[in-house]
Amino acid sequence: MKAKVQVVLCKCCTEMPTLLDMERLAKVAAESDNVLSVLTVEAVCDGKQLAELVNDVKDKELDRAVVLACHKKDVSPAVLKAYRRAGVNEFMVELVNIREEVVLPHQDEPERAQAKAESKLRAALARARLLAPLEKQSEIMRTRNIVVIGAGVSGQAAAREAVKSGAHAILLEKTGKSLKAPGVILPNSTLVGAEGYGGNFKLKIRAGEKIEVLEAAAVVLATGGGWTQLKGPLAKAVKDAMPLYKLYEQLQAGAVPRGPVVIVDTPDPAGKTLKVQDYAWDDTLETAVELKKRHPDIQIWIVFQEMRAFGLSELAYKEAAEMGIKFIRYDKAGAPKIDPKNPTSIAVKDFSQGELVNIDFGSLVFASIPSNPDNEGIAEALRIPMTAEGGVRRGSIQRWPVTTPKPGVFVCGSALFPKSREIATSEGEAAGAMAGEFVKKGTIEFGGAVAEVEQEKCSACLTCVRTCPYEAPFIGKAGKAEIRIQGCQGCGMCVGICPSKAIELHHYTDEQVMTETRTLLGGDF
Amino acid sequence: MVERKPKIVGFCCERHGMDAVVLSARTGKQYDASVRLVQVPCTGRVDGIHILQALEDGADAVFVLGCLEKNCYYDTGSIEGRKRVGYVKQMLSEVGIEKERIEMFNAASSNAWAFPEAVGKMVEVAKKLGPIGGGERQ
Repeated sequence: MKAKVQVVLCKCCTEMPTLLDMERLAKVAAESDNVLSVLTVEAVCDGKQLAELVNDVKDKELDRAVVLACHKKDVSPAVLKAYRRAGVNEFMVELVNIREEVVLPHQDEPERAQAKAESKLRAALARARLLAPLEKQSEIMRTRNIVVIGAGVSGQAAAREAVKSGAHAILLEKTGKSLKAPGVILPNSTLVGAEGYGGNFKLKIRAGEKIEVLEAAAVVLATGGGWTQLKGPLAKAVKDAMPLYKLYEQLQAGAVPRGPVVIVDTPDPAGKTLKVQDYAWDDTLETAVELKKRHPDIQIWIVFQEMRAFGLSELAYKEAAEMGIKFIRYDKAGAPKIDPKNPTSIAVKDFSQGELVNIDFGSLVFASIPSNPDNEGIAEALRIPMTAEGGVRRGSIQRWPVTTPKPGVFVCGSALFPKSREIATSEGEAAGAMAGEFVKKGTIEFGGAVAEVEQEKCSACLTCVRTCPYEAPFIGKAGKAEIRIQGCQGCGMCVGICPSKAIELHHYTDEQVMTETRTLLGGDF
Repeated sequence: MVERKPKIVGFCCERHGMDAVVLSARTGKQYDASVRLVQVPCTGRVDGIHILQALEDGADAVFVLGCLEKNCYYDTGSIEGRKRVGYVKQMLSEVGIEKERIEMFNAASSNAWAFPEAVGKMVEVAKKLGPIGGGERQ
């Protein structure tokens, strides 16, 4: 079948004609093979102009288009929708960013810019001739369950938000504590295995003694920190050292801690794993202030390497300092030490004074929270990456701060890294809302520009299986690799790495990429 | 004598890489026009053959622009891309072509300076080394 191409030149808010000769561009387009129609429009993102394009496509029965306009992300939703209306597959439309790639950066060289634009047009046409229509598929989510692992502060917040979008929240709690949260709480339960992909998970859950299978559309990880695990030389030397939350609980229960109280940031201050984070500093300061208010005669020392008490916590810091709580900053060379033979005295070199300070204490408290040892098993079951510190790794800090790389799996609170109660709550709300939105759609869409294995060429070397961050390739029944298209995100990593060249990424095939490069190199500019 | 215009191919990832290119344009940065951008979904998609074919088709230098390694849209994509570039570099030095002709760059979508800087470096390399094989191929 011969390609029938429509070329659209967008004046792009009058920026293109100031540098480029639009008529020359239109002439180049018209003289190329397979081009049946060339349109010059004022602005392609305008509804009226789009209607013009649609009519033109319908009249001449065109099957693909090359649009020279601005940034793909800005124009593609409207343009692709219009072309879909005209019966053109969305993968048959080639959008070329002339504005940001040619017009704006080459203002001083109109001749070269013109040649470059023409060359880009030719390359786009060459690529357009090779495009093939692709269909997206969809699958209905079987359930509306959102499984929240961990029913701590962030887990409860996630459940509260998740039910707002009509999902069922199921909270898995490791302990048998009685908790209050919307949805079903399964006490004494953990996740032991998982199958499937975002939208249709089959989770294996150990509830009490039994192992049950639970279907879920999305999973929120709110495992929290490893509260009971204090590791490090300081925790080893002092047997009754406690994490901050224990001190807080004691205070709430009305117990009086043995004074003086020393709060150290981490039990392993000289260790390599120390990473200064915003963990729990606001909680630490608030707890210290509360302690001082209730028992003014107890001396409190806060020993830290770096304190991040931002926002309103500044006020807590000020209040604490005014009340007489003493702060000692150290650096790694003068890290606090405790002699195991004398576990009631801590020696630390004050960074600002340069003096060695010996503090005799009654109780030792740690502000940091170690990462949860359960994370490993859960990450293994769900097949998501972890950080070196033992937390769950999120996808991208700017784009998705509460999302793991795996679609449908969200993460919040101290499961990422230790943090304070407030931040954990708001992260839980964010993750719950994201999961709710994900489930609300009711269907999962996949396919389109995804990878496909050519079975004859595959030598089942497992390279793609190891490389894919989304666990999409697997070895099928025939002993050859296959791609689970529900999991494929279309990055093409497996395609580039396949030693047998057995995998092809639709919409970005080797031929398409290389033809575009060759045509671009053919131009003289 | 007219100065020869270098030919540079840039494989650019659709995510942070392309965002950085667009941002650099919108902040008014100007750079050499000889760069030819080819969009790929992720730098992990760039195959050795793409780079080699580009060199064969007349490119003086090829660069790959991807996301920051710790913040890649596709998790490990730009790490794969860097590995691929390293592999091709080794291949080039084995056949006696300067391995400086290909390079990998990383950019966050907010780094407006990253792309013009990469183009500047590659243009310098291309001008210094000239065409592959000393211009006999022309």
